[in-house]
Amino acid sequence: MSKTTKQKTSIPAGAATGRPRSGTGGKDLLDALPWIAPVLALIVGVVFFPAGVMFYNSTRDISQSGIDKGPVGFDNYLEVFNFAYFWPIFGRTIVWVLAVVVLTVLLSLALAQLLNKAFPGRQLVRLAVIVPWAASVVMTTMVIYYGLEPYFGIINKFLVDVGLIDTPEGFGWTRNADTAFAWSIVIAVFVSLPFTTYTILAGLQGVPGDAIEAAKMDGASPSRTYFSIVLPQLRGAISVAVLINIINVFNSLPILKVMTGSIPGYDADTIMTMIFKYIQNQHKLDVASALSVVAFVIVIVIVAIYVKVVKPMKEV
Amino acid sequence: MKKTLRVGAMVATAALATMTLASCGFGGGAGEGGGDASGSAVTLNLLVPSYSDNTQGLWEDVIAGFEDANPDIKVKLEVQSWDNLDSVITTKVSGNQAPDIYNGGPFAGFAADDLLYTTEEVVSPETFSDFQDTFIDNASVDGTAYGLPLIASARALFVNNDLLEQAGAKIPATWDELLESAKKVSALGNGIAGYGMPLGSEEAQAEAAVWLWGGGGTFGDAKTITVDTPENLVGAAFIQKMVTEGATQADAGSTDRSPLMDIFVQGKIGMQVGLPPTVGQIAKGNPDLNYTIAPIPTQDGSALTVGVADHLMAFKNDGTKQEAITKFFDYYFSPEVYVPWVQTEGFLPTTKSGAEQLNGEESLKPFLDALPAAEFYPSTNAKWSATDAAFKALFGQLAQGKDAAGVLAEIQAQSDAG
Repeated sequence: MSKTTKQKTSIPAGAATGRPRSGTGGKDLLDALPWIAPVLALIVGVVFFPAGVMFYNSTRDISQSGIDKGPVGFDNYLEVFNFAYFWPIFGRTIVWVLAVVVLTVLLSLALAQLLNKAFPGRQLVRLAVIVPWAASVVMTTMVIYYGLEPYFGIINKFLVDVGLIDTPEGFGWTRNADTAFAWSIVIAVFVSLPFTTYTILAGLQGVPGDAIEAAKMDGASPSRTYFSIVLPQLRGAISVAVLINIINVFNSLPILKVMTGSIPGYDADTIMTMIFKYIQNQHKLDVASALSVVAFVIVIVIVAIYVKVVKPMKEV
Repeated sequence: MKKTLRVGAMVATAALATMTLASCGFGGGAGEGGGDASGSAVTLNLLVPSYSDNTQGLWEDVIAGFEDANPDIKVKLEVQSWDNLDSVITTKVSGNQAPDIYNGGPFAGFAADDLLYTTEEVVSPETFSDFQDTFIDNASVDGTAYGLPLIASARALFVNNDLLEQAGAKIPATWDELLESAKKVSALGNGIAGYGMPLGSEEAQAEAAVWLWGGGGTFGDAKTITVDTPENLVGAAFIQKMVTEGATQADAGSTDRSPLMDIFVQGKIGMQVGLPPTVGQIAKGNPDLNYTIAPIPTQDGSALTVGVADHLMAFKNDGTKQEAITKFFDYYFSPEVYVPWVQTEGFLPTTKSGAEQLNGEESLKPFLDALPAAEFYPSTNAKWSATDAAFKALFGQLAQGKDAAGVLAEIQAQSDAG
């Protein structure tokens, strides 16, 4: 609590680099309090309070019907780590995040570059890119899920009709762990594209035209111009997009839940779907809380490493 | 200083995003259950799952009739899908907002936590004695009934006559005959499967019961759960045989029951185990389907069906509504209200008076005939809920080539862990 207050109050000081400081810290804090109090309340309410409850639940024994039976220390954590499939699930989570984020960023870079060119109908194409964002993720996923359904899925039917699949009932894409997971990655990339593309597009608009012109004058090839002039300027945009995507993709449940939900065993699970299985199937709120805390710590570690290494806020 | 701030901000963002999912488990501790009791009126909260498109309307009719007869009692209805039901009730219970009346499957966990009225506390002696004895046994923990058997269903084999005729196969009575007939039907090609085997997470425990019990096994009783036994292994091994010899549809391990039944209704599956409501589903979806309802084949041809009873249960909460709940149950289980309800949903009644009235019903006959041989899940065992979850999560691995004994052992382990 007190740490947050300190961080928050240092905003004006940090932002006002170059101007003389007033020096009376205590009075500053008091003056600032009415302004920052709503934000503080919000942070406490939506971050620290649920996190606290989550941590508290993870150290309790909660019965199947949801009754708190008293403290058990770290037994729930032991159950999480002793679960035979924990490490494969952990590894799959990392693969999931890496694959989705890397593919998303690469595709978005190309797409943003295209949308940044002036061509007839550009507005329409830009609109088309943003439309998937307006649809709910579950809806998008369901459409593809049913498309992949054996017997009546339209994607399967198409693949059968063009002769890529020779069984008349189609292939069980969503019935096998590997293919269901691969399709999930495709969907996750698809739904992450709009945000990422627009973030990068915003970055592209900020690349000064005269810098590119100067490069041209110097006889730089288009690819040289891109890698030496444009890309470095995009650093801010890309690193913010990557950061948000990492958090978002790590915590993404609906796509995998829909796509891999009917597959038995734990061969297509990530940490998030495992939390869901603990809650929904096994009614272990306590163990689910423990795994949530673990997930929370993993995200914080990833973000901390990322911030330390990439320094996304560093000015170019 | 500046750097700390930024790292801090990033971490806060990460935290915020993570919370979105994680806090789903938090049920909200504020508020007491059903607090709008203004004046003398009592409000009963009723939480039910949806059996079909009719369910909500049926309950609304019951409530309207009940409120007319008892103007001082209001009933608040909440309908949830079966998928969500378990998590909704858990969330409500942990948030001290348990409904007064709940329609669900397993009740032993709630009884173990002392949250429920016993059945005799909330129905009149006349209503209580009208329930069929086997169903009351199935609703009892240590001799005390906690659930009111609401509806029953039994299972039977639905057979597509046309497909079997085309393949020159006969309706099977034993496993070996089933394997043979199913392979013949599968050999028709064109995406047609001989036997529809839904081992996906939706209801794997039911298909498991059909096979493991059909081979002489059992899931245990009120005291102990026995999944990992040599008797059960017989059925599990035969499931694998069905799959490897191509008698079933592709990817049996991850196919859910409802979508597979749709494919049976479309006439692309030779045989599949179905429920009483399947009759109505066929009448609606493909009335031209030429089918027979036959007994479930077992290893030696002896009779077997998997009986399932869903229960109504009454939560004690603050203990002030016992009288109102009793009035509601007595009203609901009176034959004039109850029988049309069960009939519309297409299930079997659990009361003696109801069974008498429905005796002449043609489409229910194969199932009523099967009921004497019905075996039930050990749902009065407090570990059943965990066992059920383990079956749903793991049993389908059998069809994915995993070692049968290993799968059973894993289910047993999860069940024992509770």
